[in-house]
Amino acid sequence: MKKIKIFQTLIIGLLLATVVSCTKKTASNESVLNLAVSSKVKGMDPIYSNDRYSSNEVARVYEGLLEYHYLKRPYTLKPNLAESMPTVSADGLTYTFQIKKGVMFHDDAAFTNGKGRELVAEDFVYSIKRLADPKLQGLGYWLLDGKIVGLDEWRAKYAELPKADYSDEVEGLKATGKYTLQFKLKKSFPQFLYSLAMPFTFAVAKEVVEKYGEEFLNHPVGTGPFVLPRFEQSNRITYTKNKNFREKKYPCDGSPELKAQGYMADCGKTLPLVDKIVVNIIVESQPRWLNFQKGKVEYISVPKDNFEAAIPDAKNLDPKFVEKGVRLSVTPSLDVTYTAYNHDKKLFNNTKLRQAMSLAYNVDESNKLFYNNTAMPAQSVVPPGIAGHIPNYKNPYRGTGTPANIAAAKKLLAEAGYPNGEGLPEISYDCPSSTTSRQTGEFFKKQMAQIGIKINVITNPWPELQKKITNRNVDLYGIAWGADYPDAENFLQLLYGPNRSPGANGSGYNNPEFNKLFASAATMQDSPERTALYEKMYRIAAEEMPWIYGVHRQSYTVVNGWLKNYMSTDFEAGQGSYLRVDLDQKKKLLEKF
Amino acid sequence: MNIWAYIIRRLLYVIPVLLGVCLIIFVLFNLVSPDPTLIMLGKHASVSQMEDLRRELGLDRPWFLQYLDVVKSAFTFDFGRSWSTKQEIIEMIKAGAIPSLTLSIPAFIISTFLSISISLFVAFFRGTMLDRTIVFLCVTMMSISSLAYILFGQWFFAFKLGLFEISGYEFGFPYFIPYVILPVLIWVMLGIGPDVRFYRTIILDEIYQDYVRTARAKGLSENMIMFKHVLKNAMIPIITYVIIQIPFLILGALLLETFFSIPGLGGIVLSAINSSDFPVVKAMTILISVAYIIFSVLTDVMYTLVDPRVRLK
Repeated sequence: MKKIKIFQTLIIGLLLATVVSCTKKTASNESVLNLAVSSKVKGMDPIYSNDRYSSNEVARVYEGLLEYHYLKRPYTLKPNLAESMPTVSADGLTYTFQIKKGVMFHDDAAFTNGKGRELVAEDFVYSIKRLADPKLQGLGYWLLDGKIVGLDEWRAKYAELPKADYSDEVEGLKATGKYTLQFKLKKSFPQFLYSLAMPFTFAVAKEVVEKYGEEFLNHPVGTGPFVLPRFEQSNRITYTKNKNFREKKYPCDGSPELKAQGYMADCGKTLPLVDKIVVNIIVESQPRWLNFQKGKVEYISVPKDNFEAAIPDAKNLDPKFVEKGVRLSVTPSLDVTYTAYNHDKKLFNNTKLRQAMSLAYNVDESNKLFYNNTAMPAQSVVPPGIAGHIPNYKNPYRGTGTPANIAAAKKLLAEAGYPNGEGLPEISYDCPSSTTSRQTGEFFKKQMAQIGIKINVITNPWPELQKKITNRNVDLYGIAWGADYPDAENFLQLLYGPNRSPGANGSGYNNPEFNKLFASAATMQDSPERTALYEKMYRIAAEEMPWIYGVHRQSYTVVNGWLKNYMSTDFEAGQGSYLRVDLDQKKKLLEKF
Repeated sequence: MNIWAYIIRRLLYVIPVLLGVCLIIFVLFNLVSPDPTLIMLGKHASVSQMEDLRRELGLDRPWFLQYLDVVKSAFTFDFGRSWSTKQEIIEMIKAGAIPSLTLSIPAFIISTFLSISISLFVAFFRGTMLDRTIVFLCVTMMSISSLAYILFGQWFFAFKLGLFEISGYEFGFPYFIPYVILPVLIWVMLGIGPDVRFYRTIILDEIYQDYVRTARAKGLSENMIMFKHVLKNAMIPIITYVIIQIPFLILGALLLETFFSIPGLGGIVLSAINSSDFPVVKAMTILISVAYIIFSVLTDVMYTLVDPRVRLK
């Protein structure tokens, strides 16, 4: 009897403890956006926000000169803290911005009387110098490296000295008036504007940086729609609405297809549309998925293991989710997966060998096995959705596992000098050590065995793989690239000879014709002529097969019915202020959960 | 010998041990670990930027100066800032230790208490069907992968039955409790199999000793024999086993922490290793070594308390 009583007490105790949790809840009439992210956030300093997780968080508090138009596809830049798009000099080298007047920083003890002061052009000069400061080693300097007149020299000068002097003027980065900002570029670089929409270049206030010193990364004070008094390394970050946020409205213009999908219902409403954002860091996919199904987070990308349960036919959501008001958002990602050859090895200078291997690789099967048939087989280096990609182009060396493909691959292999793989050494294939990567490697091995090529799969922790690629210690390696900005240049540079490793061109591909085209396109503004050059490079990259192309992935996101205006995007920074939570609908839908 | 003199002498061993630990982690880091600058700069690393970063991190200085820095931080406990998150390491450890300990301490106490009780119980019924069944159960429980317990527990108890929180953590008492109940239960389940088998073997070793036969011959009750004689004599291996686990409690349980989104030290250490964040790895290794030494001294002192035959030298 006594034992049973103890047991009862224990159970009641546990239940009581569970009830305690209910006491720390937010008021129900508050509109809260609950998000789940899969990786830890490092801190809130813009200059270190080099992964999407940190940059998304930074962009809730900080803002930049430009941003992507929320409702325009293909992605289009529009002014954010700038009054309008810049005026560009005739030679394309000088960009002049007018800054919005009356934009205030968040209140913070660093300012006089604790009241946020007005943002001025000088703040951008300071913030961009911070990114270039050799003592701080900001992780986004690659964006500006070699671009702005005098900035590299400024950086080099202070690398040797104990401290950088921000009052030392830089010719190409000046505030020419209280609200006027001028950039001078060394050479024409049309992609420059994209860097001003990236969190690396967002505006910080000098007073705040100086007050908190090294602790600045935990005291985010920007001009943005949300406020976070102090960042703590935890599993949850809670932002509240910035009460002094300037008048910013939900857009009333945009792409017709988005209008048709009802994305303009909130046209003209004052942003942000929620009172609070709670970001939950949930690293593992099972708890993320379970939390979504309980309605505790508004949207998540469908985890691989739950894909079949959620989207049984790879197209439509399972009816039991539809009943609960969940919708599916499918968007192509600006990325490409590939297996790169190490072009430093003589073996791979043989174009026919490269083409043969690509033909032997069944991309449709890999799409089925590893992406639940949701990805798009890549024909060349540039993904769909940006100029330079040729729709409906079929790469002649793209294999889909047909007998004709295998026969053609064998023929090419013989022409390359290795009939049935004879005379070829064993080729190593390096990949990251995750289960999926290992499976991808094994799949590759099997595909190559069909034409007699022996592959040795080597798995590496990610940093180790990176090191091997940089030191050119690989034969083949499987990897992916995601866009930094929506311009084909960001993909084509991966094959530009002078960018060889440790630059972005890890494979070391070096084709003089391609290099020449790239160099001329690099200085051109967006124009049909430039697109023609991009397309030429696209074809060369397809026929020469510097890599074996994999796929362009698509993101599959499930979204709870009460969340409005959400669409998955490659450039999420700043998205939070456009999202709305319909509280009445949430109440109704949650009853079905 | 005076017990305090013994303790002080043993604690002085910390110095050579720490020097050795510093040397090992320093050598391992420089030989094995990938270039941290490459990881920090990521896909846009260029030769000149990597060189700049190496200079700022002090990686271009002679190696003995770098080693001296490691030694200095080991003795001052000033570990500086993380290379990867730029956060102050001592603050990271403080913030991570609380969630880790709120998970590991209750789990450790419950599982130790339960395992010892169960093993006493089965030892009492040694050789019977009950004993065999429990041993069989223990072996079965040990054979199931820990991931299976976590995945199933989270899905069934938290999601299906809705008894506990699926994941998350709240700082402060009593808010953290609902978040740690399920992981604690899983930890206990995970530990009980191997622990019961271990303690049972120790107790059975004692049960067949001559003094037990003598006790029985004197006509003592089985209860008296179990608790007064057997348990007391089995205490030395039990204490060793229990106390030596304590320093590692601070690390929490990596898998449990990641699955239940508990922001503990396990996750911090793992991400530091993955990103070649040497200062954090160094700090954690040094702290664990110091804790290990302190607790092994404590174990020795405890021996003298439970067994008067043990003398400290």
